[in-house]
Amino acid sequence: MLQIHHLDKHFGTVRAVDDVSLQIPNGQMVGVIGRSGAGKSTLLRLINRLAEPTGGSITFEGQEVSTLKGRDLMAWRARCSMIFQQFNLVNRLDVITNVLLGRLNYHGFLDSMLKRFSLAERAMAIYALDRLDMAQTALQRADTLSGGQQQRVAIARALMQEPRILLADEPIASLDPRNAAVVMDALRAINKEEGITVVCNLHTLDTARAYCDRIIGMQAGRVVFDGTPDSLTTDAAREIYGVDGLDEALSESVTSSSLGSPDDGAEPRRAAVA
Amino acid sequence: MTSVSDADIRAAAERFPDVFHEPTRLVWGRRALAVGMIAYFAFCVWAFDITFERLFGGLHKMGHVLYSMVIWKDFLTWDFSGILIGLAETVGMALLGTTIASLFAIVLGFVAAKNVVPNRFVHHIVRRFLDLLRGVDTLIWALVFVRAVGLGPLAGVLSIIVSDTGTLSKLYSEAVENVDRKPIEGVRSTGASHMQRYRFGFLPQVMPVFLSMSLYWFESNTRSATILGIVGAGGIGMQLSERMKVQYWDQAAFIILLILLTVAIIDTLSKWIRMRLIGKREL
Ligand SMILES: Nc1ncnc2c1ncn2[C@@H]1O[C@H](COP(=O)(O)OP(=O)(O)OP(=O)(O)O)[C@@H](O)[C@H]1O
Ligand SMILES: [Mg+2]
Repeated sequence: MLQIHHLDKHFGTVRAVDDVSLQIPNGQMVGVIGRSGAGKSTLLRLINRLAEPTGGSITFEGQEVSTLKGRDLMAWRARCSMIFQQFNLVNRLDVITNVLLGRLNYHGFLDSMLKRFSLAERAMAIYALDRLDMAQTALQRADTLSGGQQQRVAIARALMQEPRILLADEPIASLDPRNAAVVMDALRAINKEEGITVVCNLHTLDTARAYCDRIIGMQAGRVVFDGTPDSLTTDAAREIYGVDGLDEALSESVTSSSLGSPDDGAEPRRAAVA
Repeated sequence: MTSVSDADIRAAAERFPDVFHEPTRLVWGRRALAVGMIAYFAFCVWAFDITFERLFGGLHKMGHVLYSMVIWKDFLTWDFSGILIGLAETVGMALLGTTIASLFAIVLGFVAAKNVVPNRFVHHIVRRFLDLLRGVDTLIWALVFVRAVGLGPLAGVLSIIVSDTGTLSKLYSEAVENVDRKPIEGVRSTGASHMQRYRFGFLPQVMPVFLSMSLYWFESNTRSATILGIVGAGGIGMQLSERMKVQYWDQAAFIILLILLTVAIIDTLSKWIRMRLIGKREL
């Protein structure tokens, strides 16, 4: 269980995250939605501790993680892997090395300086890539891959960390619909098969509805919606996105309609708003 | 144009006089500057004793030197082994000096980078120290080291190490400051330590830049190592200056040609290596 209590993050006068409290049970797939600047990225970065909270606390399985330092902090980051909108791979390294970077936390100084990874880890990396259908690119340089492929490599790296939680910051925002579907399917599979908690920032309502067990809506740093996809009514969505923002959030869903929203298509909802 | 009367002109000139006549202050300022420059040049000509006589006399002697450079006398009796050893020494000095300076610069380049050591005080101290190493010319370091460790290549190597550590560290640190943050954040998010972040986040990005800069400096050091020899710090320069002192212009010309050839070869090689580095798969 990941518990967040009254979490704050201020940048000067901007309250990027404002008094957020959440309880996320293990194995849940959570979608975080909201307008640009709502604080979605900041929330994930606080959980992974890439950013320091201004106030509040984060605990995992009862352990306080918002005050961890040094080795413990790094160990927490390893257990709480993260993928990014821009993939954040090391371009000049080949794919397999990028995936092996997920093991850094398990290595000492000398091993990592000399880039010594065990045979077991190399095999593990190949399996992780295989699972995402990327093993054939193992020896290619990361920057020779397409965006969708890079994101899959990033997921493989995240899996190498043997994480309890996977944080995904707009993982499909720079991908075309087909690649977006591949990446979202992979995240859902990892969530279902491994029982890894997934917290995923998403731009579009449709994707969140299609893939997540639970949706959290943020607005100006605050949580303004928290519930199942079914309970996310048009009114609730309007509160999250604002009146003009809602149109945008839905119109973007047209491009991602191939994501296969399960039952009702995007059309009726668009009609309802219009 | 015809519609502009004299009265219009006067009226406009009254409102914006500076558009019609340059301000007197400016005109006089410019004149004073011109006079000052001419006076200064005249003074220099007088102080340096530059006369037509000397210029043409010099030209005549210059012609003589050039003439003796082209006519190679007793070519087969020249001390080729001495010359070649000197040349090898020069290249060796440049290679050793640049390599060792590069190793120091990897560490100092990171320390001097703002995004690695954000402490303003430390940053300032390191930068000023590097400026000191760099600001004093290699040639002056060579004179110092010849005094300290005696004539020969060691003094040359040491002087290259010192001044290039300053230059390369500065260049390296700029490369480090210009890295792309995203991969580093990616590495950081996996729970990597500081050193691991430098090793896998920074180094792959900066290494090709480091290498190509060092190659470039190796090339330029081969040239400057020649001068180091002239002040006694070993290498081909020593051979060259000895021959110039006794006016063996033909042999001096031969040595200069060899140096040009060597520099050209190194230039071509390093260009080729630099091209390969840019597209390299993994580091
Ligand atoms: N490092 C920072 N320094 C200053 N302000 C920041 C910083 N990071 C985020 N902010 C501010 O915090 C607020 C929330 O930003 P955040 O990136 O979390 O939004 P987001 O919901 O992820 O938006 P987007 O959908 O555009 O990615 C914004 O107002 C942003 O300007
Ligand atoms: Mg964001």
